[in-house]
Amino acid sequence: MLKDIIKKEIQETITSAKFVFTFLLCAILILLSVYTGIVSYHSDQKEFSAAVALNKKNLESQPSYMYLASLGTKINKPPQVLGAISSGVDEAVGRVATVNISLDPNLVDSKYESNPVFSVFGALDLTFIVKIVLSLFAILFTYDAIVGEKEKGTLKLTLSNKVPRDRLILGKVIGGFISLLIPLIIPLILSLLILLVYPNISLAGQDWIRLLLMFLMFFLYLSVFFTLGLLVSARTNKSSTSFLVLLFIWVTFVTIIPKLSVVTAARLHPIPSVHEITAKKDAFLQQIQVEYQKIAINYTKENPMKKGENVKEYQDKFKKWAEDIQQEATAKIDANNAALELDYGAKKRSQVSLAINLSRVSPASALTFSTMSLARTGLDEHDRFLASIRGYKPIFTKWANAKMMRTLDFSGAGQTAKVVLDDMPQHKFEPETLSKSLARTIPDFGLMLFLIIVFFAGAYVSFLKYDVR
Amino acid sequence: MLETINLTKKYEDGLLAVDRLNFKVEPGEIFCMFGANGSGKTTTINLLLNFIPPTEGTALIEGIDVTKEPLRSKDYVSFVSENVMLYGNFTAFQNLDYFTKLAGKRGLTKADYAKGLKSVGLQEDAFNVRTKNYSKGMRQKLGLAIAVIKDAPNILLDEPTSGLDPKSGQEFLKLLIQMRDQGKSIFISTHDIFRAKLIADRVGFMKKGRLVIMKTRRELEGEDLTELYIQYMEERPESEPEHPK
Ligand SMILES: Nc1ncnc2c1ncn2[C@@H]1O[C@H](COP(=O)(O)OP(=O)(O)OP(=O)(O)O)[C@@H](O)[C@H]1O
Ligand SMILES: [Mg+2]
Repeated sequence: MLKDIIKKEIQETITSAKFVFTFLLCAILILLSVYTGIVSYHSDQKEFSAAVALNKKNLESQPSYMYLASLGTKINKPPQVLGAISSGVDEAVGRVATVNISLDPNLVDSKYESNPVFSVFGALDLTFIVKIVLSLFAILFTYDAIVGEKEKGTLKLTLSNKVPRDRLILGKVIGGFISLLIPLIIPLILSLLILLVYPNISLAGQDWIRLLLMFLMFFLYLSVFFTLGLLVSARTNKSSTSFLVLLFIWVTFVTIIPKLSVVTAARLHPIPSVHEITAKKDAFLQQIQVEYQKIAINYTKENPMKKGENVKEYQDKFKKWAEDIQQEATAKIDANNAALELDYGAKKRSQVSLAINLSRVSPASALTFSTMSLARTGLDEHDRFLASIRGYKPIFTKWANAKMMRTLDFSGAGQTAKVVLDDMPQHKFEPETLSKSLARTIPDFGLMLFLIIVFFAGAYVSFLKYDVR
Repeated sequence: MLETINLTKKYEDGLLAVDRLNFKVEPGEIFCMFGANGSGKTTTINLLLNFIPPTEGTALIEGIDVTKEPLRSKDYVSFVSENVMLYGNFTAFQNLDYFTKLAGKRGLTKADYAKGLKSVGLQEDAFNVRTKNYSKGMRQKLGLAIAVIKDAPNILLDEPTSGLDPKSGQEFLKLLIQMRDQGKSIFISTHDIFRAKLIADRVGFMKKGRLVIMKTRRELEGEDLTELYIQYMEERPESEPEHPK
């Protein structure tokens, strides 16, 4: 009997115009989003390699270490292949940072900056499609699952037979879920195939695991709306009411809770403005510059060249002193910047994590954050990348200062020492490991499972007591 | 056999929809229940099918108390509802197949279904049409066919003739007589006095939840049923039982 109910449920759904429409739209959207994601990853990858090469060429062509030190090197953020599925914050945050001896590095030049219209509509990645479109479909498939049968009179007719109610709801759940999965799984498999055959895109073993976890998350997210639809349809007496209630909950989950939590977090945990921090950094920089200029002037006063002293020796001594003093000054600046950033970063992080945790009660936010973490396109990965650049800055500065001071030329001909990059320290970044990403997403998986269980149990119990007339 | 003993239903809002109802429908008997709109006919059927719990009293199908053994009782009853829409995306065959399987009957062939559909007078060219394109009468015939094929010893029909054209109505009566002659207990809620008079073995009048009169075919001979109906419904306010508000 259960088999008959499941079969009927699937048959009834897939022969409907609703299903055909959904299937087509799902297929088009999923394939389109994965395809455009891959294409844009591909072009990002190209852009990235070009930028790295250009930077190297640029550095090599500098006339002296002095130029190199003040111009600095550019660190480009490598694109993430899974960003094709979940672009996360990658489109909104900066992609390139300039590291030189004076300014504190920051990632700038985001995709949104180059085309602000993007930011208005957001990315059309698979996560977005699942979050907005497919969740609506899940509702569309279930809002009348029970109340619709009541309106058709088929519920009474069904229950005038020897059909236990728990069997009936179970059959409806299984059948309904299978019919929802069909328009989802077929395009997803096709898009995996695209990923496999698309040239120049290779997913490492770990990426496949990440991808499968993301798909699992999509599946759980849609199950949440599926069971929610069942629950509401088992608690209403009119399908139009059921649909309205579901639409209201959907809007709350998808837009209101995430936006409200950001606003609330900003109220509860205010942070100083970026300008304030920058002004502080600049003021300190100026102060140090003035201070050390004085020291430099005093040096020549206090250490005049002694009679009979070798000019070369005197200059070397000065170079040695100047390098030390320069290192000291930049180290102070770096330390001050780091302290400011640490404080600012801590405040910002607490605001951000408050916003994230507040919004996480909505499955839509949980979906967004978890897929971002799994794709390594989230805020945390971005912060880690920025931190690696800030960690690299003193290393670069030290190297550049040494090079600059040791090649100071007092002959009047200006600096002519050729720039050699062989021993220039390189920026290194270790992407987050799978286990760390996974640990970050566990609460989201937990929330989804919790909601599914609660909604399903609610639908089950409600249906056992449902007034079928 | 269908039986109610002191069957009473008071809705949550205090409305007494069925009030100490007692009747029996024996095997091989057609019982027609009349009553104005809102007099409690559909409520009675819902109580017999255990769709709603009674406030008091007992409803029995084939001697089984429907509140105690609801599932078992369902094996012995077919139900034709007032206005069933069925599954619109399914054809008559598909609908019939599904509900027949739910009724626990397996191994029926398409020919069996076609026979059942023909017996209720559904035109053959509609068998493979999706039922969302059916007229009200066609749906009613399909609902009837579902009950016929279930072939239970008791049949509950809620205003079954309201959508039928004269010819179908005629065939429907024949079908009912045929089923009665097979020994089934048939309960019909109806407003169709004319047709009911042709087939009813017994009639009952319901008024505000109470069965105010019950007459056998013999007692009705020579009586004008319409006259009687109007007389009982309109002219006897004094016989109205007290209803607590
Ligand atoms: N769920 C409910 N809650 C409260 N009152 C109800 C409910 N369902 C029905 N009633 C009331 O019970 C009374 C009997 O209704 P019922 O549907 O049994 O009448 P009926 O005899 O079938 O009428 P009709 O000939 O119009 O089909 C009516 O007054 C109706 O308003
Ligand atoms: Mg009625």
